[in-house]
Amino acid sequence: MAVVAPPASPAAERLGRLERMWQPRPGILGWITTTDHKRIGLLYFWTTLVFFGAGGVEALIMRTQLAEPNSHLVGPATYDELFSMHGITMIFLFIIPMTTGAFGNYLIPLMIGARDMAFPRVNALSYWIFVSSGIFMYVALFLGVAPNAGWYNYVPLSGAQFDPGRNIDVYTLGIIFNSIASTLTAGLFIVTILKSRAPGMSLNRMPLFCYAMLAAAIGLLFALPALTVDTIFLFLDRNIGTHFFDYAHGGSPLLWQTLFWFFGHPEVYILIVPAFGIATSIIPAFTQRRLVAYPLVGIAELLVVVIGFGVWAHHMYATGLPTVALIFFAGATAMVVIPSTIQVFAWLMSLVTGTPRFRTPLLFIAGFIFMFVTGGLSGIMFVAIPFDQAVTHTYFIIAHFHYIIFGAAVFPIFGGMYYWFPKITGRMYFERPGQISFWVLFVGTNLLFFPMHILGLLGMTRREYTYPASLGWGPYNLAETVGGYITLVGILLLFGNLVVSYFRGERAPIDPWHGPTLEWTTSSPPPEYNYAVIPKVTSAYPNWDVADRQEDRRKLAEGVLVLEQGHEQVEVTPADGFLSDVVTMPHSSPWPPLLAFCLALVFLMLVVGKYGVAGIMGILCLLVLFGWHSTEPEEA
Amino acid sequence: MTAAALPRRPSIPAAWWGMGILIASESVLFGCMISTYFYFRFRSPVWPQGGVSPPELVAPIVTAACLATTSVPMQLAAFAARAGRLAATRLYVVAALVVQCGYLAYELRDYNNQLDKTDITRNAYTSIYYTLLGADHGHVLLGVLFNIWLLWKLSRGLNRYRSNATLAIAWYWHFANAATLAVVGTILSARV
Repeated sequence: MAVVAPPASPAAERLGRLERMWQPRPGILGWITTTDHKRIGLLYFWTTLVFFGAGGVEALIMRTQLAEPNSHLVGPATYDELFSMHGITMIFLFIIPMTTGAFGNYLIPLMIGARDMAFPRVNALSYWIFVSSGIFMYVALFLGVAPNAGWYNYVPLSGAQFDPGRNIDVYTLGIIFNSIASTLTAGLFIVTILKSRAPGMSLNRMPLFCYAMLAAAIGLLFALPALTVDTIFLFLDRNIGTHFFDYAHGGSPLLWQTLFWFFGHPEVYILIVPAFGIATSIIPAFTQRRLVAYPLVGIAELLVVVIGFGVWAHHMYATGLPTVALIFFAGATAMVVIPSTIQVFAWLMSLVTGTPRFRTPLLFIAGFIFMFVTGGLSGIMFVAIPFDQAVTHTYFIIAHFHYIIFGAAVFPIFGGMYYWFPKITGRMYFERPGQISFWVLFVGTNLLFFPMHILGLLGMTRREYTYPASLGWGPYNLAETVGGYITLVGILLLFGNLVVSYFRGERAPIDPWHGPTLEWTTSSPPPEYNYAVIPKVTSAYPNWDVADRQEDRRKLAEGVLVLEQGHEQVEVTPADGFLSDVVTMPHSSPWPPLLAFCLALVFLMLVVGKYGVAGIMGILCLLVLFGWHSTEPEEA
Repeated sequence: MTAAALPRRPSIPAAWWGMGILIASESVLFGCMISTYFYFRFRSPVWPQGGVSPPELVAPIVTAACLATTSVPMQLAAFAARAGRLAATRLYVVAALVVQCGYLAYELRDYNNQLDKTDITRNAYTSIYYTLLGADHGHVLLGVLFNIWLLWKLSRGLNRYRSNATLAIAWYWHFANAATLAVVGTILSARV
């Protein structure tokens, strides 16, 4: 008997067309050539976790070395490479790519109701450049030529005279290479957030997570060129014989520090601001209320980064700057407290006036607030110039910035992993082990970093590879090391939970938390095209606007803004979010990984001093670029 | 009702924003180098340092002014592309490209000649002088490559993609020209 298929409804037909239009390539090739922001986000996620593991192992080796006085587990030269690579890894290869690359990539288009980033191939290029730069520096570590003058790499220590090997060239070129990826991501985020929002999402209805990502992207965009210039100067000094940092020939070693911290301090806020964004996403979901002072928090997120550009010299109080400069920068540093505190009070008031459910993600955010305030209180002490001059380069500084970078930047990353796990994998995580992992991490982290304050005040300077027993630092250091291993246990519990949940967890519903933002309106995990209809937005909490969501379903039946005729996405006016255009998006492409590969060859040739070959590889890059642009999205 | 029937407001395309991002980033790059120049200058008792003679006055001003005028045909090309006038777009781009190539050829030759006389490794002044000038020439070279690519694209006619590309590249040239004027102004300040 012939089976007669029932006539499909118009909505189902449209979904079928969308499905075919956004179908990814199958298999491993599909992942290599992907331009889908969700796949790129996941690639970023897995890659940064590998680097996080590497940076963690480096940290644990150092902690093990310092657990007791006169320890010689590793020698001073290896220790130099360990702390340098630990800093570079955690900052450039873990936190920035994790928050922007993984979280930003996966979530921004979902939160603004877009089908993809504004420039999907640039997004893919950014990932492949990032991963190449990481491999570049880690291969150097195994060849024994890893950076060894610290993550801020002060001259003249890092000059050719005192560091004649290839180590610092790996640093300069690796950092430039990595900066290209971050700049691409930053530009991409800014344009996507301004141009690709769902119609109706004016700037004052944008999720605060996107404000945070916008702030981080603006910071990256304007801070990274300073680092690029600085590292180019150092590369030229070391390899061509210029005299940028050479006092004897009219240069200045302080120039390195000025340019470096002009990048380096905004960088700290670039690390922390996405964490604010994650906190402002999790708190409304688990308190079931709108975040207190939405506009102020949005402005504060941007202000943190803007003011962050005016505080760099507080890293240089001990260099003999004029007193007027010291006072100016101390004032600017004190000013950062204002936007930070606005946010802390907004989070706390939301918790107090809402009905908080302390599930694992919110626990991590509570831990984050505690650590952020602790790290912030030690940070505000540096406004007192004489105190800063006394503790500079001691473990007090290490304590401060680890409270900020681990406590305040990484805790929300962990919280965010739990929070969005159901959305991304379609499975629920196990709640009780999740809460246990939080408490283990909270205890471990505080035990690891709090005694560093005391050690700093006792005079232990950073980057000492060992110390004599007579100084009495042993017990504190031992406590820290124990804390380090407890932290490791917490991290293993966390990832163990997520891995088991991925295979054994319950099926996740579309919206397990009754979350406020758009990603909770689409299936878990989201389809390739994210939304069947470009969603209607009339507030900053669109998932709580029931009538709008019903209208989306009606629009699917009527075929309004389904865009199933092509591989398309909307463009809007940047401020009001008014529909301005429908544009065709590129499909998957082999050119981004190819271009990243050719660029890697350029940097490889530069580091071994074969400038002619590097030039030829540069021409190869241009040819790839021509190939990239040979097909236009409309023609594909 | 499809998307075509929905009310729309005209807005600047994402391509322009992409170029705006590149310009913002490169502006900081030049800003840092120019700041470095003056950082050295204000810390140095004599400028240029070490008996190096200051740069020539007339030739850089004349050539930079010539280059700056190419902003006009580039902008006209962007307007023509938006109006769908293919022949005019090509003509404006070619006119600009001729001047830009001439400028680049002259400057590269001059750069080489200067290097023969005074080496980059002499002192901090020569270091920043050649780096700044070299970075600027690099950006002009990139613009020339952009224009060659654009002409290749325009050989297949006009569409929205190519019209947006023309607009973006016109803005790149506005930036490259402004950067050139800033760099020339900086290096000529040694004569003040």
